[in-house]
Amino acid sequence: MTGRTLHVDLASGTGRLLDDGPVFSEWLGGSAAATELLFRHGDPKGDPLAPESPVIFTIGPFSALYPVATKTAALFKSPLSGELGESHAGGRLAMSLREAGIDALVITGRADRPSYLAIENDTVAVKSASTFWGQSATATDRILREAESKTGRKISVVRIGPAGERLSPMACATVDGSRHFGRLGLGAVLGSKNLKAVVVSGTKTLPLAKPKEFKEVYDILYDRVVRSKEMKKYHDLGTAANVRPLSMIRGLPTRNFSQGNFEGAGAISGERFAEKFLVQHTACAHCQCGCIHLAELREEFAPYHYSTNRVSYDYELIYAMGSMLSLSSPEDIMKLLLVTEKQGWDVISLGCTLAWATESFLRGNLSLEETGGLSLSFGDGAAYLEVLERTAKGQGAFYRDLEKGCAFCAGKYGGEEWAVQYGGAEPGGYMTGENFAVTCMMGVRHSHLDDTGYSIDQKLLNAGQPLEDQVRAQVKEAQWRMVLNSLMICLFARGVYDEEVILRGLDALGLEWDAEKLQAMSEKALLRKYEWKSLCGFDHRSVKIPEKMYSVQTATGLIGRESLEERLRLYRKFAGL
Amino acid sequence: MAVQYLRVVNRDQCIGCFSCMFACSRMVRNAGGSGKAALRVKGYAGVEGAFSIRVCARCEDPDCAKACPAGALTAAPNGGVRLKKDLCISCGACVKACAISALQWDEEERQPIPCIFCGQCLKYCPNDVLAMTEKAEGGDRR
Repeated sequence: MTGRTLHVDLASGTGRLLDDGPVFSEWLGGSAAATELLFRHGDPKGDPLAPESPVIFTIGPFSALYPVATKTAALFKSPLSGELGESHAGGRLAMSLREAGIDALVITGRADRPSYLAIENDTVAVKSASTFWGQSATATDRILREAESKTGRKISVVRIGPAGERLSPMACATVDGSRHFGRLGLGAVLGSKNLKAVVVSGTKTLPLAKPKEFKEVYDILYDRVVRSKEMKKYHDLGTAANVRPLSMIRGLPTRNFSQGNFEGAGAISGERFAEKFLVQHTACAHCQCGCIHLAELREEFAPYHYSTNRVSYDYELIYAMGSMLSLSSPEDIMKLLLVTEKQGWDVISLGCTLAWATESFLRGNLSLEETGGLSLSFGDGAAYLEVLERTAKGQGAFYRDLEKGCAFCAGKYGGEEWAVQYGGAEPGGYMTGENFAVTCMMGVRHSHLDDTGYSIDQKLLNAGQPLEDQVRAQVKEAQWRMVLNSLMICLFARGVYDEEVILRGLDALGLEWDAEKLQAMSEKALLRKYEWKSLCGFDHRSVKIPEKMYSVQTATGLIGRESLEERLRLYRKFAGL
Repeated sequence: MAVQYLRVVNRDQCIGCFSCMFACSRMVRNAGGSGKAALRVKGYAGVEGAFSIRVCARCEDPDCAKACPAGALTAAPNGGVRLKKDLCISCGACVKACAISALQWDEEERQPIPCIFCGQCLKYCPNDVLAMTEKAEGGDRR
């Protein structure tokens, strides 16, 4: 990689190319390189929604070259957590950036009117989005694919929905066909810049340093991607396959993390979705696995008149809009997902906040007056649909607050004990035990993807492991993921990309790395992220778990206060904090 | 050996991964990325999951060659076309003449990319969308 950074200033509507080669040589690319660029361009003390607050997109050395290196990293200051905002998305963005010859895209400033950014190779244009400001994320995609269509060429469209325009801190940015920079509020940051969308296309190809070696490594990877069991599961049922098994071990968060087994799990299982509603698999560019599952929702809007919509689903979506809200009808879930997709909310944050609101209402902590006369109850899909519609319309203070996340809502309305969030971020769908709790607290993104806590918990059901070893494995995984996330490999391919093949792959591209250098980089990259977080004011010693989580049964039993403390101590020690 | 035709046989199974295009660029042109592929997977705006794959039909009397004003693109003896690179004037008339948009354009070299019917694309298709067949008939040309 050459480390070409395109820096766009929306205020002046201009772009300039910078040479960040040294950053990419030192930090590999992707997530780690973006962290360095965040240090360089961002102010950790600044307002995430201020014009000067940067959004940084990066790709990695394998992007558009090896299979399943499909991700783009987005780094920013999160309006949801107030610290490190980092989210990764697939789609065609990585390929388009690579073919445009851009390894990093830094966007700062605020456009003076609703705008979108069109990047074609080295050409940058800030164009008016006045005619479609207010349009859904899905409509915006249709509009821009036509407006920016290029003969014979792929374009990538990143856009926000109305939630991002309203600066909801749980607004996401949607990429191409229902891929998302979902977590931590990138949508609001783009909205604050008056930036409705970014369209990228390029026509460049990449010279191969060692074509023979490159093709050999490619074939090893291709074979693993297409034939390994590890990836097949993501294609077949997808992550939704986990709904039933997780419920069976009490690990599927149900009714706001009250329990881990959901009586309706069978009805909303991956098998049920596939048998009844799955109509197609699609893939990110250069992923032969194809894990995107599209379900068809057919609704009768008048007698004998039907509308048909396609909705993408996977495990986290079914958890957030299904078991968390006690919905056991796939149609109810899909209706909520469709509104969520159009509005451009992060489905995990939204589902957790709806669940918090429901528990608050049932406990008498929220009044009918506050909800505008609407009764909230677990299992009432029609009511949730109404909640989303009122939120989209900003109908009353309560509904305007809901899209600010459950930490904000609990701060205003009470109910902090059952507001399930860690450092301001709502968690992924695992109720597996202490390792997962540590992930949520210590993970640099507070994401289940930061390390493998939920998986370590599940392995404990088969065989015990000393606590210290569990934490050591967790930290090691968090560090290793710095490598994967800097190469921008989809984590579903983590079983495909071992260290040996990664080193061969880098060598074939003429990039000099060895095992030691990779490890040193990964350890340093993790610490660098904590450093930025702490400059933002985040203190990993004071992050708490919601009080409720101490009193519920997880897959591995109750979470103990003392053992959790011990784990956190060990985590800091092993990570070098 | 009988003349081989590249055909789209299972369009509905396409997942839009572009693996075929990457394979063509990589294996035939030694280029990283997808930009030098002699075929194209096309999506439709707003229709998630609908793909159309455009491959060279190996015409015996190719419209693209007929449109070439420079004599650079000519009909090959067994169907399809050959390009004499030094004669090409980069006018793009050939690409416009292909009604099924199968002939692709190399944006870097500003020349068309004739398919050589080597079958690398289908070797890297995970879902058996493409096949080599011995007769021109049959298959789904969409």
